[in-house]
Amino acid sequence: MTGAVRGGTSILYCAMGESVSETAGVVNLGTEGSMLVGALAAYAITANTHNPWIGALAGASAGAALAFVHAFFVLNRKANQLATGLVVLFLGLGLTSLFGAAYVARTVNSFKTWKVPLLSHIPWIGQIFFQHDPLTYLTFLLVPATWFVLQRTGVGLLVRGAGERSEVLSTYGHNVLLVQYLAVVTGGFLAGLGGAQLSTAYANAWFENMTQGRGFVAVAVVIFAARKPLAAMGGSYLFGAALALSPALQARGWHVNQFALDSLPYLAIIVVLVLLGKKRAAEAPEGLQKVFEMSIAT
Amino acid sequence: MRRISRWAAISAVLLLALVAAACGSNSDKSSANASGSDNSSSSSAPGKDSKAVGFIFVGPKDDFGYNQAAYQGAMAVKAAFPNLKVLTAENVPETDEAARVMEGMIAKGAKIIFATSYGHLDAAMKVAADHPDVAVVQQGNFIKGTVPANAGTYFGTVYEPVYLAGIVAGKQTKTNKLGYVYAFPIPQTVANIDAFELGAQSVNPKAETYVVNTSNWCDPAKQEEAAKSLLAQGVDVLTQHQDCTATITKAAEAAGAMVVGYHADASSLAPKGWIAGSEWDWSALYKDIVQTALDGKFTGSKYNANFRSGLKDGLNPFVQSKYGPAVTQDTKDLVAKAKTDISTSGSPFKGPVMSQDGKTLIAAGTVPDYATIESTIVVFVKGVVGEMPKSS
Amino acid sequence: MTAVTAAVLGKFDRRAATRWALALLGAAIVFGILVMTKGANPFSVYHSMLSTVTTSASTDGILLKATPLIFAALAVAVPARAGMVNVGGEGQLVIGGVFAMGMSLAVNGHLPGQTTLVLMCIAAAVGGALWAAIAAVLKLVIGINEAVSTLLLNYLAINVMLFLIYDRWKDRHGSGQPASRPLRVSERFSLIGSSKVHTGLILAVVMVAVIWWVMRSTRWGFQLRVVGGNPEAARRGGIRVGATLLSAMLVGGALAGLGGVAQLAGAEFKLRQGFLATYGYMAFLASWLARHKPINVALAAVVLAAISVTGDSLQLDSSLPAATVNVLMALVLLAVFGWTRVKVARA
Repeated sequence: MTGAVRGGTSILYCAMGESVSETAGVVNLGTEGSMLVGALAAYAITANTHNPWIGALAGASAGAALAFVHAFFVLNRKANQLATGLVVLFLGLGLTSLFGAAYVARTVNSFKTWKVPLLSHIPWIGQIFFQHDPLTYLTFLLVPATWFVLQRTGVGLLVRGAGERSEVLSTYGHNVLLVQYLAVVTGGFLAGLGGAQLSTAYANAWFENMTQGRGFVAVAVVIFAARKPLAAMGGSYLFGAALALSPALQARGWHVNQFALDSLPYLAIIVVLVLLGKKRAAEAPEGLQKVFEMSIAT
Repeated sequence: MRRISRWAAISAVLLLALVAAACGSNSDKSSANASGSDNSSSSSAPGKDSKAVGFIFVGPKDDFGYNQAAYQGAMAVKAAFPNLKVLTAENVPETDEAARVMEGMIAKGAKIIFATSYGHLDAAMKVAADHPDVAVVQQGNFIKGTVPANAGTYFGTVYEPVYLAGIVAGKQTKTNKLGYVYAFPIPQTVANIDAFELGAQSVNPKAETYVVNTSNWCDPAKQEEAAKSLLAQGVDVLTQHQDCTATITKAAEAAGAMVVGYHADASSLAPKGWIAGSEWDWSALYKDIVQTALDGKFTGSKYNANFRSGLKDGLNPFVQSKYGPAVTQDTKDLVAKAKTDISTSGSPFKGPVMSQDGKTLIAAGTVPDYATIESTIVVFVKGVVGEMPKSS
Repeated sequence: MTAVTAAVLGKFDRRAATRWALALLGAAIVFGILVMTKGANPFSVYHSMLSTVTTSASTDGILLKATPLIFAALAVAVPARAGMVNVGGEGQLVIGGVFAMGMSLAVNGHLPGQTTLVLMCIAAAVGGALWAAIAAVLKLVIGINEAVSTLLLNYLAINVMLFLIYDRWKDRHGSGQPASRPLRVSERFSLIGSSKVHTGLILAVVMVAVIWWVMRSTRWGFQLRVVGGNPEAARRGGIRVGATLLSAMLVGGALAGLGGVAQLAGAEFKLRQGFLATYGYMAFLASWLARHKPINVALAAVVLAAISVTGDSLQLDSSLPAATVNVLMALVLLAVFGWTRVKVARA
């Protein structure tokens, strides 16, 4: 279970970022790319500065920068959101390969796990939630914070407006484009943090394409969770659990088919989507709905 | 045109196309991949007077493990043959793409190709068939049936140093639980795991080896998970058969556990926990293969076969790493004794060797030869905890 | 064949051509700068890339890579004309391969090789179509967006294949590394001449022609385009939108499935881990680059295959990691997306 939280954190970061972006009406399939560049940047900067916090910041910035590219092409040049997202991913793959080659063998001063005093001693729950690295703890705060900002504050209203009723927003004099830009870039920032957690806290290494599809998983989680933070957490941890489950079961001498386990999260998401389906589709912000329905530009 | 006949027309075209393509398919009698022989005369000996040597690796060259070792071997070749161009390609997948990369090297003048990963065999064989004047050697796998005149496989008997390392692990463990993280249950790996356990058992009958597989030669996240779950089980010595070794080594060190290395010397990553290990030193073997090919002597040489080298013939490219600080002298003595034993008349798999389910794999007192080991030691031995992914 | 020539050169207009040229130049320059930061000389890098790409060995490699790409790109293009985003090429390719291998195992040598191969192709097409149908049904019945469902299904497909090659289909006489047993020689596509390109390519070209013809000359193709342009109008016009969308995805899936058998029976001959990895995504990009017009899509697939093959040169000649070529691909695409649109897209 601890593995679930540990493994799911990076996905959760990505999912949060993607929720922000999607609330404003922009889908970013390139969030996987943001995560990847975030992982590399964090690892590289940590290697050079010996301070993982600076590394994490660098990772987040890298993720934001890549997301900026996505935002530019989608918002300014009106390119198709889904296709651009994938292109941005390829860009991320290539860039990290180019610049990451030098860091494959380096060790860094990574985030160490820190046991929360008192809380970590609570049997069972303590171990699952309170014996992690700082970036994971950050998610515990960030998730409710994001939800709060999006649902209850003026800023959040702007973001939601950009996604749902952009015409209304512009009538009131707000710069819809700016709001969307910021939302997408924030999404990238968070995804980059997720990547940082992956490289400097979780796996403690850097390898080409180390995210292995986690960003896509996050996109799915966002759909599944429909911007409800607890559901997003649950979805992310579900993935983390599945990742951790196979080695854990094997270590205990059990034999469960590995691929059945690997498929589990994807299946679970599909099942949930089926059950909640119609409701979710209707709940998506209108701007987003337009994207999905008429994705093909001339 | 009426709608019906339109569709009929389409279906007809489709079917025709399919049949045409399929009819072009090889009949049962002809050989696959009719060799598109290239310009150079196929009568020249494979590899003779080559201007370049090509190496393909499945992973990155600084993975602190398998590929790094192979890369260092390649660099040794470069140093030894200054007139030879050394071409290297990393991250070459174990699919047909590898064939294309090798072709690219051949186009640049390489007549000697090293395909250094287990899964590169099929692509390597394809390339060898198409270029009879290129010597293609593959690391680690086995060519079944007749070995073509310009191909061969090579490897060291890795399980011998792993057995020795197992002795150290068996002596040093306090919980009697050893952990082994591996990628695929290929024969090499199974032999390693078994040798490790047998080595440990020889000095500590209570030692058990818990195994976890990651189905990947290098996925740091899976490795991390595997390491952590083994440690959570009480394992206090970790080892692995993975291409990149850094993650697990660091995980063990961070948890205060001991670690036995593989593929490369990663002791710098685990100054306290490192107790022993085994690593590659390909330079001598690579250089010899290159020289043999350059001289035109490849066909019929010992390399034009499934070449395996071990402690007995003194050329094992797989050697022991240095010991860690915590290892006592009498442990080292035990190892030295075992080593001498194996080099002369023994074997890590000297009988009796029992499988997990009680069957006798090697009868008591028998010393199996390399071929027997390759064919018999394909299941886990008693003392190994965990199952191999089944194949029905 | 004036119709064909017109279709290809069709809307050739000078401004668009200049825009394309400038966009590509821009991408090339940015890539050059990036390469310089790693100490390589951009001119020599491009020179090596070009000279490698033009050797006959490379052309073979490019066409070999392009064969499944063309199928997969068509698999994106057809649903796209109907307004659907099929990102599932990756999974549909794999499932196609799986069904083909399954057919080969089922027949088990009891039929002549050629017949088996035809059956394998049909099986692959059926498999791919079914896989795509899952996403289509999810969309039509529940309303789940097909981009998301096809993406998830990709991962499932890979796991299905892995499960099979690790377990039921594992080659007992193989090396121990998970892979299926190889296809019988008679069940493979034969080579064209003395090259490494196989007859699967012919099948691909035929498919391009068929799809091109279907899209422009059949009622179904017309309905597809109407639904893609304006679903509401289509509905009011009496077209059954749901059925059209479903059929579009089925055709797309079938095409991708064919791509899978093409690679299996033409090059790989075994199902392995990593089978056709990333081809689906590259094909997605190819279709978008070519605005989903069948002939252009095929050309784009070849171009992307070529760019991807230059990755070999990057590694062998310029000591840059091979995956760097993804940067070039991405830059080219971004340049095209950003600056060669004549009409402004909706949404």
